[in-house]
Parts: sequence; C-alpha cells; structure tokens
Amino acid sequence: MSNKQNREKGKSRRDFLKDAGVAGAGAFAGAAALLTGSDEAEAKTTWAEHFQKNYRLMTDAEKQEAKERLETRYSEEYEKKVEVGIEPAMPGVLFGYALNIQKCIGCRRCVHACVKENNQSRHDENGNATEIQWIRVIRMEKGNFAFKNENMDEGYPGSKGEEYGIQVGGNAHTPVGTVLEGQHYYEPQRVPEKDAFYFPIQCHQCEKPPCVKVCPVRTTYRDPDGVVVIDYNWCIGCRMCMGACPYWARRFNWGKPNLPKEDMNPRTHYMGNRPRMKGVVEKCHFCLQRSRKGRYTACIEVCPVGARKFGNLLDKNSEVRKILDRKRVFRLKAELNTYPKFFYFVD
Amino acid sequence: MKQIRFGIDFLTYALKGGGKFYVWLLFLSFFIMLWVIGNITQITQGMIVTNLNDQVSWGLYMSNFVFLVGVAAAAVTIVFPAYVYNYKPLKDVVIIGEMLAISAVVMCILFVLSHMGRPDRLWHIVPGLGIMNWPNSMLTWDVAVLNGYLALNVICGFYYMYKKYTGEPMNKTFYMTFVYISIVWAFSIHTVTAFLLNTMPTRPMWFHSIVPIKFIVTAFSAGPAFIILSFFVIRKHTKLEIKDEAINMISTIITFCLGISLFLTLSEVVTELYPSTEHSFSLKYLMFGKHGLHGLVGWFWVSLVMNIMAFILLINPTTRKNYNILPFACVLLFAGIWIEKGMAFVLPGMIPSPIGEFVEYSPSWIEIGNSLGAWGVGLTVFTILARGAIGVQLGEVKYPSGN
Amino acid sequence: MKKYKISKVLFSFLVASFLLSGIAYAADPEVCFESRGMKSEDGEVVGYTIREKRDVEPGWPNIKCSSRTGGVLWWGDPFDETEPMGELPIEADYTYEEAVVKPREAHLTEVIGLFPCADMCHGDPEVVAVPKDTTPRTLVDMHTEKAEKPTDLKHGRGAIWCLDCHSRTNRNKLIDHRGNEISFNQPMKLCGKCHGQIYRDWRDGIHGKRIGMWVPGGKKRWWVCTECHDPHNVQQAPGNRGFAQLQPEPAPELPKGMLNTDHEQEHGHGGGGGGHAAPAAGHAPGLH
Repeated sequence: MSNKQNREKGKSRRDFLKDAGVAGAGAFAGAAALLTGSDEAEAKTTWAEHFQKNYRLMTDAEKQEAKERLETRYSEEYEKKVEVGIEPAMPGVLFGYALNIQKCIGCRRCVHACVKENNQSRHDENGNATEIQWIRVIRMEKGNFAFKNENMDEGYPGSKGEEYGIQVGGNAHTPVGTVLEGQHYYEPQRVPEKDAFYFPIQCHQCEKPPCVKVCPVRTTYRDPDGVVVIDYNWCIGCRMCMGACPYWARRFNWGKPNLPKEDMNPRTHYMGNRPRMKGVVEKCHFCLQRSRKGRYTACIEVCPVGARKFGNLLDKNSEVRKILDRKRVFRLKAELNTYPKFFYFVD
Repeated sequence: MKQIRFGIDFLTYALKGGGKFYVWLLFLSFFIMLWVIGNITQITQGMIVTNLNDQVSWGLYMSNFVFLVGVAAAAVTIVFPAYVYNYKPLKDVVIIGEMLAISAVVMCILFVLSHMGRPDRLWHIVPGLGIMNWPNSMLTWDVAVLNGYLALNVICGFYYMYKKYTGEPMNKTFYMTFVYISIVWAFSIHTVTAFLLNTMPTRPMWFHSIVPIKFIVTAFSAGPAFIILSFFVIRKHTKLEIKDEAINMISTIITFCLGISLFLTLSEVVTELYPSTEHSFSLKYLMFGKHGLHGLVGWFWVSLVMNIMAFILLINPTTRKNYNILPFACVLLFAGIWIEKGMAFVLPGMIPSPIGEFVEYSPSWIEIGNSLGAWGVGLTVFTILARGAIGVQLGEVKYPSGN
Repeated sequence: MKKYKISKVLFSFLVASFLLSGIAYAADPEVCFESRGMKSEDGEVVGYTIREKRDVEPGWPNIKCSSRTGGVLWWGDPFDETEPMGELPIEADYTYEEAVVKPREAHLTEVIGLFPCADMCHGDPEVVAVPKDTTPRTLVDMHTEKAEKPTDLKHGRGAIWCLDCHSRTNRNKLIDHRGNEISFNQPMKLCGKCHGQIYRDWRDGIHGKRIGMWVPGGKKRWWVCTECHDPHNVQQAPGNRGFAQLQPEPAPELPKGMLNTDHEQEHGHGGGGGGHAAPAAGHAPGLH
C-alpha cells in the first residue's frame, strides 16, 4: 500500500516538475526577450538564434544557416555589407606568437589596432559601456639605482651597530632592479621611457587552458589550429573562465556593447570579431577572420618596432619557429603548466 | 487527492497568523519587490548596473552564494545527531533544519541567476538539451550537488511531513536511506563549492588546501547559529516545544566549529605573512591595505573581532547556556562569518587581478537591492515552510480522518 | 521689394557657400604617418611616410588612423602603393616569398623633392663641385639640418660620414664600399654590410616589420631599414636605442571603483627615493 502511495506521490511530483519546467521555459523566454534589448535589428533575433546549438555540434548546413542569419542581422544593424566567415582551422597549422620584449616600446598601438579590427564595445558617454581592450600593456619600472654606500648596512630587524646581522636588506624596501608590480595606466609624453620597459599581455592561447577546463557549458574550447575560441551564442556569462585565467585575458560585455556603425569592421568570423552581445565573454582569438585566410593579425601589423611575430609553429620556415630556434624564449607563469603558445623573447 | 489537500492545508496554515506575522511578511515583501525591480533592471540593461568590472568580476552575488551554500549544508548538524546518534531532543526539530536547507538552496539559485550574464541561456547547462561539462568543470559538479541536495531535502522533508499529516507510518527504509544520503551530501555541497574556488592557481588567496575545511567549519557554525535563532523565535511565537538539550547540542557544535575556523584563520595568516611573497598581496591588501587602498581592511578586522567575541561567549558554558546571551553570540557569529566569507575571502581573491592590478570594489545599489531582495525571498520561503512544518509537527495540520 | 528679396537670397547663398566652404575645407582627407612620425601640438601630422585615408571598397578604408598620435593603426589593404622589392644579394630559403616594399624613390622624388634637387645641384659640376675623395669634412650652407656635424654623425660616432653611404658622383643613389650603386628602395643592401646580424634577422623576419600574409610564400610588405631608423640620427638620444621615441596611445579607461591611478605611483613602501623610506600608512611596523 505504501508503495502505491509513493507512486502516486511520485506522479504528482512529476507533474509538478513538468509544470515547473514549462513555467521555467516561459521564464527563460521572457528573460531572453528582456535581454535582447530594444534595438530593432537586435530585437529581430529569431527564435532560431536563441535556441541554436553549440557551434561545434552544428552540421555544415546549420552553420551555413547561422552564418546567413547573422549576416542579415548585422548588415541591417550596421548598414553595410557584413560577412561572417565560418572557415574552420587550416590543416597543418598550429598558431604561435612571439613577442620581443627587448623591442617593445609600450606605445599601445597594438591595443588600439586590435580595437579597430575586432569590433569591441566602445566607450559610451552615458556610462553604459566601456572600451573593451583585449591587450594590456604593463610598464615595468626599472627602479632607482641611487645606491648609497651609507645605506649598505641598513635593514631589518637591526640597523647599524647591531651585532647579529641583517635579515632583510634595506633595498627590499626600495625598488631596485625592477619594481614588483607593473603599472597599467602610464601616459608619458614619449615612449619608451629611459627607466622602464614594457610587457604586453593578451590571451596566450594555452595548450592546457584553465578557462576551457572550468567552462560549465563548453562554450570555450581549443580549436584544432590551437586558438582558444568562444561561441558567443552559447556563453551563459557565468565568468568562471575570467576567474581562472592566469593572464587576465578575458573580458566581459557588462552592458549592451556600443559599436558605432562607422567603426564596425564588416569582415568578420563567427568565432572571431563578429559583434558580440551583452552578457558574454570575449578575448583575443588571433584575429581568426584574418589568420584563417592567411593574413597577419592586427597587432602584428601595427607594431612600429616589429616586436610581434606570428606564424605556424608546425612550419620550420616560419618566423616563430626561427625565433624559438635561435632566441632566448620564455613563457609567462610557466609554473602553472598552461603551455601557452605566446612566447616572450629577447634579442 | 491527498497530496493536493496536503499542499492546501499546509499553505493555509502557514499563511495564517497574528498581527506580528503579517508585519513580518509585509516587511519581507518590501525586499521581494526590491528583488523584482532590481533583477528586471539588471536583465534589461545588463550587468553594467552593478559595480563589477573585468578585474573584480565576482562580487556581492558570489559572496552571498558561497555563504548560503554553507548555511544550507548546516541542516546536517541537526540531522546527524538526531538520526545517527538517535538524539531524541533533536529528532523533533529535524524538519526545521530541512526547511532551512531548502530555503538556503533557493537563495543560492537566485544569487546564481543574478550573477550570470545570460540567465536566458541557463538551459545550455542541462545535459541532453545543452552541454554539461562534467566532470571537468567544477561548476557543473556544484550545479549537480546543489540541485541534488535540494531534491533530497524536498523528498525527505515533505515525505516525513506528508506521512505525519496523513497519520500513516513511514517506510523507514525509504526514508532513512535518503536521510543517510543527505548527511553525506550535505558535506559534499560545501566541499564542492570550496573546490570551485580553490582549484584556481590564478587566485593565490583561494589556492589553499585549507579552503574546504574552512568552508565546512564556518558553514557548521553560521548555519546552526541561524537555526538557534530561529528556534528562539519558534519558542516564543509558536507552541512547538524545543528542548534546551537540543539548543545546547547545536550551540556546542557551533562553538567547536568556530574554534577550528579561528585556528584556520591563524594558520592562513601565519603561512602567508611569514615569508610574504607576491602571492600574499591579497591577504595583505585585506588586512592592512596596499598602495594606499584599504577598502576591505575595516571589514576584515570587524569580522575577526566579532568572531572572537562570539567564540569567547560560546566557549564559556555559563554564557553559552544563558539564553539571554546566546542569541547575541549567534548574531555576532552569523554576521562575522558572512563578512568573512564575502568581504574577507571572495573579494580579496579578485584583488589584485592576476596581472597585478589593484581595483577596489563596493557594490552598487542595484546589487545591494538584489541581494537584500534574494534574502527576503529566502526568508519568506523559510517562514512559510517552517510554519507549515511546525503545524504538521504539532498535529495542527492533519488530514481530516474519516475521508 | 523684389530687389530686396533677390538680394536676401543672394546674401543667404553667400553665407551658405562660406559655411559650406568651411566644411569642405574641414573635410580634408585624414592623414596619418606609417613610420617615424608624430602629431605636433597644433594637430599637424608629420612623418616619414604619410598616408591618406580613402576607401578601397565601399565601407572598407585603406587605413585607419589614430586620433591621438596620428599614426596608422590598421591597414585595410597592406599592399596599397607598394612595388616588388627586387632581388637581395644573398640567396636564402626566404626568396620564394613575394616581397613588396613602399618605394622610397618615388617618395623622395615627389614629396621631398630630393631627386630633382640632387640632379640640379649635384648633377651639375658648375653648381656643386664633385668632391675629389670621400675624406670627411664639415658641410656649409646645405644639409646642416640633417647632419649638424658630419664628422661626428649620430651614426657610428665618427666612424662614418655622408659620403660613406651617399654616392660621391650620383646623389640619387647610395653606394657601398665596393662602389656598387644601391637604390633608396633597398637600403638593406648597404646597411646590412655593417649590421650583419641585424640584417640576417631582418631577412628571416625576426627583426623589423612586415605586414601581409603569414602563409608560406605569402605576399608581404617588408619595411626597409630607413622606414624605422633615421640613418642621419640613429642614436636618438636620450634613449640611445636606435629608434626615435613615439607618442603613446591613450591608457585604458579606469575601471569602475577607481577614481585615479595614485595607487600605481606608490610602490608600496613610500615612493622610490633612495634609502630606507618610512613604511606607508596601513603597514604594521616591522612586517614587510
């Protein structure tokens, strides 16, 4: 008898859950409608786009359909002919990047070239959007070299006259060599400054990316050519990846992205620089819209001192391979075993 | 149908009360309204209405989430002695603990929805419909265990109450199996939440093996402290008898858990500050400020003082058993641990950023409104569920016999 | 009345055309520099290679400029206005690459006006006598802005001077130590003779700048030496890095929650002076 009651109870629970599911779906649809925004072109985002699959699982026909949907929508929104590429990874290619920190002068042209190419949200006077920049250049101050002889025996815990010796030298308290923490907001009249060197950081396209591991919906993953990509239509905005990335490479669209029509770059790629939407994560993707067609990335092209090099790690004649072969190369935060494909080197 | 009757009787009993009860509900409904308005604003305008940014990308919502998972886990401090040690005084009030667990998990879900950029894409994580990156992503483990815990408490709690309501005997095997599962599961929910944070070497403040231990002990002090407070309220305003031994057992548990938590704090401070590497910058920023920025320093010391004061009051049996002082100690403890888990753990993990940028954060009004609102929703759920449960326990909610 | 009306119309037409001419004047094409340039305080862009922005296709410009520094930030068509580089003296496995350069000879002729002047002055022995040898001496009258003290040129610290690179007999060409004439389009044939390691790295793409296609055999525009380095002032004091300082692009926006960047100036222990500075406020004394 109790079993029958359990089954009855179970049935009513099942019904309840079913009703809850329907209510939930309705709530999601409502939230989706609210999130889509008031822009006319964006509001036309179809039911199909809301419920499309993760890009990797789409058939070729579905990808083509998604591409055309997006091209129509973007062309209308930005009033120019927009192409959305769906080129897959080129076979036999593993992208690598090398940055010569001996040469970098900290001019930040890479930062702004990237913004010109990749359709990030721009600054909005009303405070509803900030300019998203995928590259961050850090200024490492060389520190003061005004060593003075009389300070040689200063330190902690004792000072001059103490018998037991100093545990921590006086120069632990004044930056010497290089200051521990870099500066991000430097704006001198001219760069490079005599007492500083510069360290640009962007997504390192790790071979063992922490961001990919923590993504709960597998929206970010490493594509066969080594680039860690994001399917913007699949991202749920939980920002676990932003917590996990050791290089602070990922950015979030906190508000509705502000991208003026004149600034929009119409040659896009589905995984690359197509305009993103509110509530999703984005980051450097080695300019897929260019690199999968054989062209250098925007940051490579703009660097006025030629500090940035890019190419196919599997091609022994590529610039990157030659650099790995001849130069002193290191990886940032190598102890974390992320195996980044972004190498720093010196002449 | 009996189940529907049960639901109706439960709710009608729960929603009937004296003047003070309606004032309380009205008070909570103000916060629920804040929650509704705040979330609509956040959904339409985007999370730009919060004070979160790319550097500090987890803030008030995650802090509350982490804290409330702990409160939810605290139901086990009643369930375990009651069923494993057959401690009679606690057996009658197990149901209150389970109702608290349900309300806390509901609050957790609300905070997760506020934290996500695209709650309309939540279906992406449902296996089958979307993709659930299990077992790689800790967040999927967290989603699984939290929903499982909610289900367990709903099953256990409502099965028990339904059987009491109808007067039928329980199927002990069925019920006890789920109880034992929920005991183990309670430990797992907060451990998994701890693993969510501590498996990221990017965040040196969190990248410790003491984090799961600290989370469990702070959960088992803050959660039961809230239960003790609700016991006092129940004693005052309902006819349900809660024996002193029940309260004393729980207050003993929270005392020792708080003691371990303080010891772990000491351990963390010594381990980080003795060699003082770059990895200790988050803790130094928290405790002393850095580079002229000291937004969290006050919060840290206040929470530490509150926890120590609570511990002193609790470790001394005279004050612990004095029911005029115990509620005060519980409030101190609850608030102290809330601050510690939020401002003194989740936030400093984000400051400085992984490449060394210090950015201060204080929540915006929308975030505060949404958080207070979610607490309002949770407290409303708890009030209703607890009242109904008390009614069932007292026998005032009973299936009319002869039907 | 009619007359008044007509004159009113005429008057408004004049005003309108004046205003429109202002707009037309303001609608000068946007220019920016590709290398070795800057934006002066009054907004004028000066540089070694100036480009004018225009559309290569509707909606697809050839370049995008920086509003802060006047530098090119982006190339729509990287091969615009280039020509093939021509042969390099040393065969290596790079030669299958399709290399193009921005031609200097055209620029020098049309923009700087070097070549006609060179022909007019140095081409006619009656105007300027052809020097009998390449012994260093001071210059008078001309070219002093390029080389204040030719015997102590800011390139080589006295080891080289004008006629070590410029052809004594034909000022339209450069010359190497064997007397071979070198085009201004290929300065690396000359520079590489002394700067061999750099030349080798440049040939392999490690030193210097290239834009275009990374694919093997892909077409690239190679930046030649003089596009980045000023041969008359390589040292570029005070940096002494061989490369002129540039104006930087703007810093990122401050994140929410930060009002200023004071925290970056303070290095944690009271500033960067010499000696043991007092601990900053907030530090417990003794802890470090």
